[in-house]
Amino acid sequence: MSTEIRISGGAIHDPANDVDGELRDLCLKDGKVVADVGPDARRIDARGMVVMPGGVDIHAHIAGPKANLARKLSPDTRRADPLERSELLRSGTGGLVPSTFATGYRYSLLGYTTVIEAAAPPLAARHVLAELRDTPMIDKAFLILMGNNQVLFELIRASGGAVSPQLRDAIAWWLAATGGYGVKLVNPGGVEVFKQSNGDVDGIDAEVPGYGVTPRQVLEAIGGAVHELGLPHPVHVHANDLGVPGNATTTLQTMDALSGRQAHLAHLQFHAYGGGVGGSESLPRSRAPELLDYLADHKELTADVGQVMFGDAMTMTADGHVSAVLRDLDGGKWVNHDTEVETGCGIVPFTYKAGNYVHALQWGIGLELFLLGSDPWQVMLSTDHPNGGSFLSYPKLIRLLMDRGFRDDQLGRANQKAIKRTALLDGLDREYTLNEIAIITRAGPARRLGLRDKGHLGIGADADVTIYHDRPDDREEMFSTPRYVIKGGELVVEEGDLRRIDDGLLLSSSAPFDGDIDRVLEPLFADRYTVSFDHYPVRDPALREPATIVEATP
Amino acid sequence: MPESLICAGCTLLCDDVTTDGRRLEPECALGAAWLADRSAPAGDAPEATVAGTPADGKTALARAAQLLRGARRPLVHGFAAATIEDARAAVTLADRLGAIIATGAPAQPWPGAPAFPLRGSSTATLGEIRDRSQLVIVWHEDPETTHPRLLQRLGFGAGRSSTRVAGSRTLVVVDDRDTATARRADLPRDGPADRDVAARVELFERFDGGRHATIVYGAALATGAGGQRRELALHELVRRLSHGRHVVTLSLAGTAGIRSADDVLAWQMGYSGTVDLASGHPELLTVTEPLIDHERIDLALCIEDDPREGVPTIVLSHRAEPVDAEVWIRTAPAGVAASGTLHRLDGVPLTLRPPLRSAAPTAATVLADLLKATAI
Repeated sequence: MSTEIRISGGAIHDPANDVDGELRDLCLKDGKVVADVGPDARRIDARGMVVMPGGVDIHAHIAGPKANLARKLSPDTRRADPLERSELLRSGTGGLVPSTFATGYRYSLLGYTTVIEAAAPPLAARHVLAELRDTPMIDKAFLILMGNNQVLFELIRASGGAVSPQLRDAIAWWLAATGGYGVKLVNPGGVEVFKQSNGDVDGIDAEVPGYGVTPRQVLEAIGGAVHELGLPHPVHVHANDLGVPGNATTTLQTMDALSGRQAHLAHLQFHAYGGGVGGSESLPRSRAPELLDYLADHKELTADVGQVMFGDAMTMTADGHVSAVLRDLDGGKWVNHDTEVETGCGIVPFTYKAGNYVHALQWGIGLELFLLGSDPWQVMLSTDHPNGGSFLSYPKLIRLLMDRGFRDDQLGRANQKAIKRTALLDGLDREYTLNEIAIITRAGPARRLGLRDKGHLGIGADADVTIYHDRPDDREEMFSTPRYVIKGGELVVEEGDLRRIDDGLLLSSSAPFDGDIDRVLEPLFADRYTVSFDHYPVRDPALREPATIVEATP
Repeated sequence: MPESLICAGCTLLCDDVTTDGRRLEPECALGAAWLADRSAPAGDAPEATVAGTPADGKTALARAAQLLRGARRPLVHGFAAATIEDARAAVTLADRLGAIIATGAPAQPWPGAPAFPLRGSSTATLGEIRDRSQLVIVWHEDPETTHPRLLQRLGFGAGRSSTRVAGSRTLVVVDDRDTATARRADLPRDGPADRDVAARVELFERFDGGRHATIVYGAALATGAGGQRRELALHELVRRLSHGRHVVTLSLAGTAGIRSADDVLAWQMGYSGTVDLASGHPELLTVTEPLIDHERIDLALCIEDDPREGVPTIVLSHRAEPVDAEVWIRTAPAGVAASGTLHRLDGVPLTLRPPLRSAAPTAATVLADLLKATAI
């Protein structure tokens, strides 16, 4: 029996449909937004409340071998954060990388209904899928790591760096083999160099030793292939030189290499640094305004911020070189794991301190990216969970954006030398509106992910809805505890409590490819992998189904 | 017609194997034993027993559920031959029961807190080691016996996989025993009884100029008295050497089933090893006494492993012959007559491809039935 719901009298914030706080009813039936429902529909009185589409997190790290190693690495942080078993709920633990059930519950309690795992080794797809199947309440997808794939390097070299039919077919094959949703490039070429010799690739035009390709060619060829395939989400790029002073130059070169085709830049804050040339200019500084200027002139590019929040974080990345640098800075725990042919992985627990120059600068640069940008559709909210901080810190981040008084107070607590090297003290009085928050937390990410039924409340949209008490005095509290969360047309959260468990859907994408690509890939697999070509693809129905398949549109 | 399968005879999970139902190709002593164990015909063996008496599966399930409902301090343990699917169902049931769940042998004293949560580690998949490591050091282990195709798969010895490493590669064995692996070493065995990892740094000095090295270790280093200290020393050595060169480790400890169950426990609960769910939430247990006595376990549910003495036990096992237990339920042998997923020693997940079929249920199916039958 389908549930019919009428959400009555709330202020609707649906920027994808140009609705900005209009007081009206919203009707849900059969898991979709509909024009009207019958008189017996359940009525939710939303007067005085704010109604938005369910949140969509475009970039987080929640599942797979990397997240699980981080869990095993951090029993100390989860003892104080247990999740109790109940008739409805599985038990688990929180901390910076919650157990899978806790991850699903807590995202739901925050009003999020869709989350993207942003970096999965294709070889580990079975593991990623199994964890996602144990992550309830949210629809979820994962991006497969391809920026250091030796097989793709061979195809790119063979085509002289151009997009070739074989490269397109190979990418489509890999998505079909894994159940992935999109393509992620992490430090293209650089992870391979790290695995060779603990080093990094020297700029985007340096050749990757042994492969005859450059990061620029990888960006252009794979970015171009994804674009030509028409995947729902464009290539998702963690650029070279993450965290390195002066890396904004590399980021601008990366954006330039990608320009002219759709692309998304991950955690831009970590790639927006000046300085590092020695002398008085050696201290890192912000170059966020230059990156924003470039974005303003290139509407085909988008980014998520990767805001750092003061406090504890868990850095975990496919960019193993970054983790090795942090290991040497910090001296604490460190995990490295290299995956053959495809990628690396590094994990280092980390604490961002308000009084530390570099950390405060990172915090300030993130806020600059939010506050100086002209188009919220291009710059989306993320903390690169848990790299910059937990997803549980999103409400505080939202308050920083919406409440200048609160922001000024927080600015006063941060390292002033760093803050003075940002634009935050230059009378920056911008406060995000509710509609802008709706853009950066649901409408923008959904649109960028090509999820046409998510991120908006038009007729036919998925009935994923979050209803908040309107609390202008405390936006952090407002966004921490939604009054209601509706997932797939069913009420799942009410006043901070989970009322119903939803398994959530797996989202995968599909693009057609020529089956003859097998004849190209099989010998390359035999030469490089220790898993046979035949055993590599995930075929297990229990992992692959049910799923919503989003077809490519070339 | 030979059929392809993935051999789970050890944690290597070789997936280039074929079988005619009796033999494996390529030959492997552990693989042959694994195949024989899992393809033995059930014959007249019952599908289940209750208190040693043959019973049908439904009766056995009802009795098992009754015992679980009445247990004050149940333990779910084992997993040596379990799959990811079995482990997911077992953790779900343990959570519902408020049980202790332990991957490994609860009758043995706890081997010491693992080193990993204290400092981490540097690891790699087999292909990384095969195609990059110029130096491989085997540390007090004998993989030629315990993981017969490891060296071959890492590109050493006769019938070896081809490696992409240019130039010479060196296999060093540090051991005080005359093992089959030691006889394969490229350098004279360099094995004082002392297992102090830090003292081995000179091995790397011999390796001057090399860019990539691997240290293979296992239970001999990491368990028993001082195991945690030795493993920490190993990882400190790796950190110290990881400048200008890339150094990784590969652990041979455990079975694929235990490795896989540990991963499931970590993702569902946040902890691996031994987890107490009695309080309503997961608590990591690090007892140093035999678990069954120390925690006053009054009922054990043993999944695809050898049951322990001293406690009434429900056993789910693929073995054809019943074991002495309150309830024994025969399951389909994963890999040979049932599918399932396992994580290889380097974490790579693989789906087993059984050449045979079994009428018996998988452990995961029995556990799901027990979950329903124990619901209040």
